[in-house]
Formats: sequence, structure tokens, C-alpha cells
Amino acid sequence: MSAKKKSIQITLISFLFYGLLVATHEGEYWPFSIYPMFSKAGNPWTRALVRDVSNSTPENLWNTTTIDELNGNPVSMKSIGVDQIDYSNFVSKTKDWDTKRIKALRNMLGEEYLTTKDWMIYKVHGKLIGEDSVVVETVPILLFKSDTTLFNPNFSSEYFFSE
Amino acid sequence: MNLGKLITENLFGKPDQLTSAHRFYFKLFELYIVYETINLAWEWGLYTLKISDVVLPLGIANLIDISFMHDNYLPIINAIAISILLVLSFFRKGSKWQYAVVFVLLHFQYVARFSIGEIPHSANLVGMAIFSFAVGLAAFQNELHRYRFIIGFTIFYIGLGYFSASISKLIGTGPNWIDGRHLWLWIAEKSTDILSREGQFNYNFVQITALKSIPAATFMLFIGIATEFFGILIWFRKLRPYVALALIGMHFGVMMSMNIRFDSFMIELIILGFPFPELYLKYGDQIKSYFSGREISI
Repeated sequence: MSAKKKSIQITLISFLFYGLLVATHEGEYWPFSIYPMFSKAGNPWTRALVRDVSNSTPENLWNTTTIDELNGNPVSMKSIGVDQIDYSNFVSKTKDWDTKRIKALRNMLGEEYLTTKDWMIYKVHGKLIGEDSVVVETVPILLFKSDTTLFNPNFSSEYFFSE
Repeated sequence: MNLGKLITENLFGKPDQLTSAHRFYFKLFELYIVYETINLAWEWGLYTLKISDVVLPLGIANLIDISFMHDNYLPIINAIAISILLVLSFFRKGSKWQYAVVFVLLHFQYVARFSIGEIPHSANLVGMAIFSFAVGLAAFQNELHRYRFIIGFTIFYIGLGYFSASISKLIGTGPNWIDGRHLWLWIAEKSTDILSREGQFNYNFVQITALKSIPAATFMLFIGIATEFFGILIWFRKLRPYVALALIGMHFGVMMSMNIRFDSFMIELIILGFPFPELYLKYGDQIKSYFSGREISI
């Protein structure tokens, strides 16, 4: 068999293998991918932020606000060595905030910071409104304190344990 | 010549013989992939030490519980194994299957690291290049055939990847995908990410231009999806440098508009998109003779 023929045969077999893996794994089987990112345009999104609210007053702490009206001071993920996309996905994709999941998030952010600081975990929702505007709102969901984690009292338990 | 033969010829037909320039070029490409892979193995390995839960299983983690890689030093041991195997493979010491072993170990490293929701694509081309070396070294003994296959196979998957990205968008949303307001939504999303990562955020001029004008934002998205769609033309040797340039430009545009960097994609496109050995063989003597015997004022 010629080298060219062998090359194309191997390529086609690998392509079959590639197709089979991505077809059965929602388009992703690293490094095989159909690159579906940004394929669904216009959908609302959810990301996440952390704010240091140690010095904030308790009033309005649990209120949903715009991104310009956030309580406290920013906590840069980079400064604490956490991958922002990881953090964001962790918060936005978690449906069941059980003890294990909360411990994992506290561990990821760094328990050592929480001994002296109160950190608020925010979900950030963005969506298109009307013909020409994007609305971004921030929802405080969890407050990490040194010895405990508080849930936003404005939400029912279903919001935190929906699985 | 039918299309199949034309594609085969363009991907696997050249060079006619291996010169020193081709050998140097090939090893440079391999060195870059080895460097990037070692870098990824350690970056992912060290970060995995912080992870103690699986939120979203990817790849092989759908079949086996990948948590055995968490809360211990297995990611570090894996990174050491990957590094050693890569160095040996680069110097062609040991088995021809070593790159295949690295490919599998790297997949484990990836799924252990990205088990909490993120599905990044920034390292996919590096992973595909390791796949090319794994298959190419195992299947071909002759160096010329090996060269042609590994370069051609890598380019095949680069073209296919960009094309499938555009098709995903057309299937996921349809032609309406290019509506500029979709870009607004993504800019807002990415600016939130930057705000969270850095603690502050400012729009750049590209983002301001897009946010001020729906037609401008629509044009940016149109250029993006069109470039991806025609990315498959990188399979054809004569078009390859132009397609590579367009794709590099597109990545630059994505970086400016959405703050998403694909550095390793751009470097790989620079290496594989241009016929450096052929350019050297054609112009190398002219460049050398230009400098020989001349005194250059500095």
C-alpha cells in the first residue's frame, strides 16, 4: 500500500473514531471537539463573582442589584490563584448546594482567606431586553464567613437544593 | 483529479524529499508541541490539587469516576510521567507508542483538571498535534512518510475544527447568529469574567465600537463565522498561508472583542500555515549572499 493511501485510510479511520466519540459525548471528548462554544447565540447567561463584604452593613446585603451597585469590594480571582471560568461554572452549574459542594467551593477559593474575611458569592445573570439593550443583574446567594456559610434568606430551599 | 485525490495530494503529497530545512522545521514544530504539552500537564496538574469535587465529568470521566485523581498527588505524578515520556519521544528514545501513551495520560490530566464545569478549547490544537504524533510515529517508519503524515494530519484536523465550529453555529442558531446584539451579550458576559478575574474592567475600542452600533457588531460576527467556514480551505497548500492569516486575524478579533485568548492556536497556525522550509530553500541563498561580504553599520 502506498504511503498516501495509508495516510488517507488512517485519517478516515481516525475521523470515524473522532465522530463516534463527539457524537456520544455532546460534541466534546478532549481533544476531539466540534467546537460548539458560542453556537447558541442570544441565550441568557449566568456567571459568578466574589465580593468582600466584611465591612458592609447588613441592610441590603442580600438584595439583587445591577453590577454597578454591588456591595463590598471586589475579590480578584487572579489574586487568589483561582481560575475565573472554573469558579463561575462551579457556581452557575451547581443545583444542589449540599455540605460537600459548599466545602469544595470554600476549599477552591481558599479557606485561609475566610478566617478574617466575609465573602459573598454572587450569581450574575445577563439577558437581552427589547430591541437594543443588555441587562446584567447580580444575585447574592451564599455568604462565606469564617465559621459558617449563610444562604440568601430571600430564596426558598428549592433554589439551593433543586436536584 | 477528483476532489478526494486533490485533498490527499494537498495534505500528504509534499515534500518530494526531506532536506535539512524540512528536518529543522519539523523538529521545531515538535519541540513547540512538546513544550506546550509539558506546560499544560504541569499547569493542569498543579491546579487539580485544589479540586475536590466533580461537577461536570468530561471525556473518560463519563465512564470512570475521575475523583481518584483528586485529593492526592496523582496529577503531579502524571505530569512527571508525561514530561519524561515527551522528552524521550522527542529524541526518539524508547517505544514508538510513547506519544500514544502521552495522549492518553494527557486526556486523564485534562478531565481531572476540568471537572468542575469549564470546557476550555484553548489547548485542543496542542492535543490534536499530540494525537498526530502518536498516530504518525506508530504507523510510519519512513521519515519522509512520517513528515508528510504528521503535518498533513494535523492540518486536516485544524481545517475540520474551524469548519465544524461554523456549522455548529449555523445549526445551533441559524443565519441569525450574526445578529450584532448577540455580540453585545457575549461582551457583557466576558466583561463580567474579567471583572471577576481582575477586580476591574474597562471596554477597549473594539468593544465600544460594537456596543455603539448593531451593524458594526453584526459585521464583526459575519467576518468571524465566514472565516471559520472557509477555514477548511487550509487543507489546500496554495491557499494555506492566506487562510492561516485570516484565522490568526479572526483570533486577534476574538481577543479584542471578547477577551478570549487562543495563543497556542495562533502559534500553531503560524508554524503550520506557512511553507517555511520551501521559503528557506528558495530564498535562503539570496539572503545569505546579501549579508556575506557586507559590513553592516550599527
